[in-house]
Amino acid sequence: MSKRQLAMVMDLNKCIGCQTCTVACKTQWTNRNGREYMYWNNVETYPGTGYPRNWMELGGGFDAAGDLQEGVIPNLEADYGVPWDYNYDALQGGASFEPNVEPTWGPNWDEDEGTGSFPQDNYFFYLPRICNHCTNPGCLSACPRDAIFKREQDGVVLVDLDRCQGYRYCIAGCPYKKIYFNPKISKSEKCILCFPRVEQGLPPACAQQCVGRIRFVGFLDDEESQVHKLVNKYKVALGLRSDYGTQPNVYYVPPTESPVKFDADGKIIPDSGRLPIEELEKLFGPEVHDAIKTLKAEMKKRKETGESELMDILIAYQHSDMFRLDNNYYQQVAHENGQHPLAPVDTRYIAGKHTKPDNKMNFFHGGHGHTAGGHH
Amino acid sequence: MKKLLNTLVSASVIATAASASYITAVKVDENLDKVSYSYDVWTQAKMTEVTLYPQTTIKFNDKMANKMNESSKAIKAEVGAVYNGSRIAFIVKWPDGTKNVTTGNCLDRYADGFAFQFASEYSDPKTLPYIGMGSDGRPVVVHLQKEAFGTYEPNGYGDVAHQVNPNQTAFFGKELDKFNKKVKSLATNDYERSFVAEGFRSTTEIKDGSNASYARIGYEGKGWSGTLSRPLKDQYLDLNSAVIPVAIAVWDGGNLGRNGLKYLTSWTAVKLEGKSGSEALLTALNEKSKGDTAKGKEAVMNNGCTGCHQIEPTDPATYMGPALTNIGGYATADYLRESLVNPSAVVVPGYNRNAHSSYMWYTLEGDKRVSTMPGFDYLEKSDIEDIVAYLQTLKAEVK
Repeated sequence: MSKRQLAMVMDLNKCIGCQTCTVACKTQWTNRNGREYMYWNNVETYPGTGYPRNWMELGGGFDAAGDLQEGVIPNLEADYGVPWDYNYDALQGGASFEPNVEPTWGPNWDEDEGTGSFPQDNYFFYLPRICNHCTNPGCLSACPRDAIFKREQDGVVLVDLDRCQGYRYCIAGCPYKKIYFNPKISKSEKCILCFPRVEQGLPPACAQQCVGRIRFVGFLDDEESQVHKLVNKYKVALGLRSDYGTQPNVYYVPPTESPVKFDADGKIIPDSGRLPIEELEKLFGPEVHDAIKTLKAEMKKRKETGESELMDILIAYQHSDMFRLDNNYYQQVAHENGQHPLAPVDTRYIAGKHTKPDNKMNFFHGGHGHTAGGHH
Repeated sequence: MKKLLNTLVSASVIATAASASYITAVKVDENLDKVSYSYDVWTQAKMTEVTLYPQTTIKFNDKMANKMNESSKAIKAEVGAVYNGSRIAFIVKWPDGTKNVTTGNCLDRYADGFAFQFASEYSDPKTLPYIGMGSDGRPVVVHLQKEAFGTYEPNGYGDVAHQVNPNQTAFFGKELDKFNKKVKSLATNDYERSFVAEGFRSTTEIKDGSNASYARIGYEGKGWSGTLSRPLKDQYLDLNSAVIPVAIAVWDGGNLGRNGLKYLTSWTAVKLEGKSGSEALLTALNEKSKGDTAKGKEAVMNNGCTGCHQIEPTDPATYMGPALTNIGGYATADYLRESLVNPSAVVVPGYNRNAHSSYMWYTLEGDKRVSTMPGFDYLEKSDIEDIVAYLQTLKAEVK
């Protein structure tokens, strides 16, 4: 376990599925170099297949006894979807508009479908997902190379690309399938919680760009942070599928409000709601009942008295209040450990006892890291 | 009667000679710096048959791979070696019905490949490094070659301009083609890696510029040929000796093989023709314990070994001690003896302990791993021998 834990809270009542977070992440990190198919941040429609397809059924995580479970490594074509593009250049010459790959599957293939029958009781909500930077990561536990590490200073889970050999057990081990294999570099990659931004006091790109202001970011042990208040004080933010045993650090305020149902004659069924509590319980555990109770009570309190700290937080009047990222904290940690604040690898792991110390960081200094027969 | 006895004696002598198997490294004059499988030098090599057993020490968490490798059988390979004044080269040929190559565009395919493992220190045959990539204080050097094309360096050799998505460059038409060609040329089509390791979790790639190995791999007629040439001596290894220990591993990408999911020989003796020196290693690596296997099996049951180890494939798997289902295939008699008497001498770098947190198969004393297994040094020597003899029988059949 790391000394401190950076966490994110997403308020599902406010997510409008606009995919701005997805685009923010994609343009920042995953539009190149073998990451094209990856969505470190995605927003899926729930109920739905999700991304990758049926990820909840692909194994990984831990059982009640704490044993890592077997998992399946998804397939590019069938489960993630091959990113396709169109022949814009050829259009000038009169060619017909054609995709370069026949699109057969992709993220959000079933966007907004949801379930139930329209207009009586159909429903869905959006579920934005990033890496959960778990306290007990399945990916880390599965790696036979100790190539995945959790940073002491903020609990961000990272892949040491120098140690990773592309075995992909991490993908099988992650129950959220939020770690991806990059076939071009033959190594695994994942959401880095924008740590280079965070270390400079900026929130992750997905949180910064979120138009619905649904994402709060801060340290769990920082009692002034809104993240702490939502998770620990009001207990209205809950981990996704905590039953996987990885202790996720992205928390969700469950959707509390949904329209009423209509009966066969198109008449309103009073006091009905379209969101079955069982579905929420499946996603967020039995604690969801109390969380919803608290949310409803605070909403009522706010309506009656005009006051509620919880509602003020969730309304997110000031975008800047949603993030408490103490810039100096990272400078201090780096100074204490004699590290470069932006060091992308944990040097504990590359410090091979038998390799020359002055060349350990060769790889990250733009050096070639000579291997005989390699391309130069 | 006397004649019959003589025949029996000579038969047993022959049997002993035959069982003392080793790979002969033939002294040659040719330059071996960049030797490949198609080189003429291999006509001078003497090929020796070795058996590679499926490594079943720990169970990985890839559901499909586990299913496909449930009842893996051992395979036979042919190995030859040649050396000159400065370098030693090996060739290994093994059967593989499917050619599995990765080309940098698929997420769930794995490449076929092979590796040679050398012990950094081998003067005492009783304390060789653990066969699975060495152990604490007993390092190994591993040379790996896989048939993988189109692999890029994560930092693109620091060339940021060619890591941009082609759609986001300012190029069109021919210029874009040129850009794409340049990007493609930055890929490595030779997946050769060399490592130092003290147990597989510690495996560290040699990137200090000192590595001068050269490996090649080629597929022909339902099988692979792999070659490795390396200096007899470098800063990690000195192979100038009459006998050196070598272990060979091959991977079958068709069965989703990678890292521990492989076929592995025991430490195998390589005799460098013309070099003089102790041949104790040769005897040690070929030793078959003279214990009673039936008694050994009984002793294994009576001493509760199955509480922590999977012994036979029909026994339940456990996350505590390493599975011993193929231990006879890749462990030496000395290793088995040492592990019984002093289990902490080599603590197999098995699971990440976080993966099975309720199994305390070792504790830490400072940096040193102390095995939870009690030492069986109180057993009679003959009992130990019986157990060793039994453990040596634990191995998969040959395909």
